[in-house]
Amino acid sequence: MTLRKTLAAFAAAAGLFVAGVAQAEWAPKGNLTLQIGFGAGGSTDTIGRVVAKVMKEQTGWNVIAENKPGGGGVAMFAGIANRPADGSVVGLGVNMPILVNLVNKPGELGFDLDSFDYLGTAARAQLGLFARADAPFDDVAGLIEYAKANGAAPLAFDAKPQELAMRQVMAKSGAEFQFLSTKGGAENLKLVLGGQAIAGFEAGEHLPFLESGEIKMIASMNNTRHNYAPDTPTLPEQGYDIYVDPVFFFAAAKGTPEDARMALTEALAAALDSEEVKTVVMNSLKSPIENMGPEGTEKMLRDGLVNVGALFGK
Amino acid sequence: MPELSVILAGFGDALAPINLLFILFGVALGQFVGAVPGIGPVMATAIAIPFTFGMDPLTGIAFLVGVNKGGLVGGAIPAVLLNTPGTPDAAATALDGYPLAKQGKPLKATKMALFSSITGDTFSDIVLITVSAPMAILALRMGPVEVLGLMLLAFAVIAGLMGQSLVKGVVAIALGLMAAMVGTDPEHGSPRLIFGNYELYDGLPLASVAIGMLAISELLKRLSETRGTVRPAITLPRNQPRADRSVSWAEYWGCRFTMLRGAVIGTILGALPGIGSTAAAFMSYASARQASKEPESFGKGSLHGIAASESANSSVMGANMIPMLTLGIPGSVSAALIISAFMIHGIQPGPFLFSQQGQLVYGLFGAMIIANLINLWVGQLGLRFWVRVVSAPEPFIFASALLMCFVGVALASGGLFGIGVMLVFALLAYVMSAFGISVVVFIIAFFLGPRLEISLSQTLALLNGQPQKLLDYPFALVLMALALVTAVALARRRDTESETR
Repeated sequence: MTLRKTLAAFAAAAGLFVAGVAQAEWAPKGNLTLQIGFGAGGSTDTIGRVVAKVMKEQTGWNVIAENKPGGGGVAMFAGIANRPADGSVVGLGVNMPILVNLVNKPGELGFDLDSFDYLGTAARAQLGLFARADAPFDDVAGLIEYAKANGAAPLAFDAKPQELAMRQVMAKSGAEFQFLSTKGGAENLKLVLGGQAIAGFEAGEHLPFLESGEIKMIASMNNTRHNYAPDTPTLPEQGYDIYVDPVFFFAAAKGTPEDARMALTEALAAALDSEEVKTVVMNSLKSPIENMGPEGTEKMLRDGLVNVGALFGK
Repeated sequence: MPELSVILAGFGDALAPINLLFILFGVALGQFVGAVPGIGPVMATAIAIPFTFGMDPLTGIAFLVGVNKGGLVGGAIPAVLLNTPGTPDAAATALDGYPLAKQGKPLKATKMALFSSITGDTFSDIVLITVSAPMAILALRMGPVEVLGLMLLAFAVIAGLMGQSLVKGVVAIALGLMAAMVGTDPEHGSPRLIFGNYELYDGLPLASVAIGMLAISELLKRLSETRGTVRPAITLPRNQPRADRSVSWAEYWGCRFTMLRGAVIGTILGALPGIGSTAAAFMSYASARQASKEPESFGKGSLHGIAASESANSSVMGANMIPMLTLGIPGSVSAALIISAFMIHGIQPGPFLFSQQGQLVYGLFGAMIIANLINLWVGQLGLRFWVRVVSAPEPFIFASALLMCFVGVALASGGLFGIGVMLVFALLAYVMSAFGISVVVFIIAFFLGPRLEISLSQTLALLNGQPQKLLDYPFALVLMALALVTAVALARRRDTESETR
């Protein structure tokens, strides 16, 4: 047995112990459904499926992962908010699409931030702005200069907040960007590598190309620097007080009984602490596990609502 | 290019008994779920991924590749035998496969589908193994404007399938594009035509629309035609001559150009992310019909029709791996699922994959070739099984197929909402066929619509209000000109055909 496997076994045993205590107090009647707010095949799906698998092994509960795509999690959370709060369904979503919709359509979604009991977070997606290595600039100021010199600069983005952040940069600097809307980070990368976009947004797909020196990082779009690029400053650090901070979080319907909430929080924490989940999340997201706990998750969302409001100029 | 020893070691790994076993298991599973109407290979791969967490990387990935390849072969089976394609890429196969099966030659029809599927698949695998690097560079050069040109060309070619009435063809395209517009507008990020249903925010669920229109409406129609006497779903004549049960070498060889054209179309479209196998199958089918000396035989059980569709949709799979392995860009949902399986094992596709993981990559290539052989073998056995299954009485077959469609759609699209959408579109298809409006054309427009719109929106952003900038994209102009020529040629052909009638 290798050291890593031994450690993994220990971690699993420890997880079993913690969850075992929780289980003594509360267990789901029947199945525990872990709903995933996105379709099969994306990073949220991967996180959800591995967490469900490990939770099932650790707790002995029958944990079922189920995709509930629609509106980046809005459809799923609307369903959860209207469920009886019996702890039988936990939702996994990403904060950004939820916050964007709450800011733009308050009162229309059938839920708000008060509709849920928060259980924890899985990780943060490290979103950055990247350009091809041969681009004649290294930071946002240089990109602005390039755009001014060439009339306009095409940027590839795949989510509204990215575009809005750059529109604020555009308004403040007077440079012009052309916004190429795409279906995801991989397509952004294709446009940047192919030279059709001068810069694009990436959250993980790009790392081999960063390593090989084919692309370079212009800015971190989060409000923190990225663990793999501690020398590249964030957009706020480069003089534009705006950021995009996607976080994967777990929530259940508001009013879930105390014992169920505690048991679910602990079971999730134990699963997130396992070697298997850590490895899978690190491999697929390139970000470490970051569990903010129930209070931290709620604070993250409430602060995020203010930030996203600013992004949309509301 | 890695050293020969690495390549040989990789192929050797693929031959390890455990890997062979999992490829066999994957292919068999894929063929089975592909053949059951409603549950496609994509759903099967998604469900299979957690099982690969604990496997060795090559075993896990070879298993998933097996599921995918098996699913491609399996998908043609319900399309041919019941006229109920479980996935839209098999819809083109049903156009000629089902008429042939109805003539009492179900084994011949399914065998032709199997052989041409594996031919197309093998062709694109060889392209992948030998020239993936230059193909990837070509794919990168295809920017938004070029993709727009290609989409226009695809629409022009597929317009050849519209049927006799131009007006009804245009109605079908317009309805398909309108259904494709449901969901978030790519340009402004605001929801369109969702009427307060956030489930529709990402667009109509593809599986619901495809299965509703292609499978459910057909099953309902057939169930409604059942009158008192219980017939088998398909009749196998006793003592059928061998020629009607199998595909002779002469028949196979006679389709070589059709299959080659299909494989080339599938490989090109597959190397470009996001266009997909449905477009490839229909483009190949439409161009095979245009190139044919007897276009009137299409739609009546032509072997060429089956060969065109199956060789194209299967060759997309291998070609999807080109941008995936070299650039880390998935060309389809299945490829995205396989990428996530790679990443779970800590392997990221991209520029270093061939140098750092050469042995694994060549192991994967070996596994793909082995999977093709196993596909052929399992397919030969499986076809007999499925033909026997559907010779059961109609009510049993249709009722169980209906049930499987409900289960499959519920799994793929997140529950009852997806089923509701499926039933609405089944009804729409029923009404459309009653009025003679082509359901198939609707489906193609619906599947290509989002890609057309997004490449149009990207092109407009790049042109920045100056149409003369189009001159900077010569290759795109060539494609657009080709689209125009195709459309004009089709229109003239339509005129001469109607004069002779």
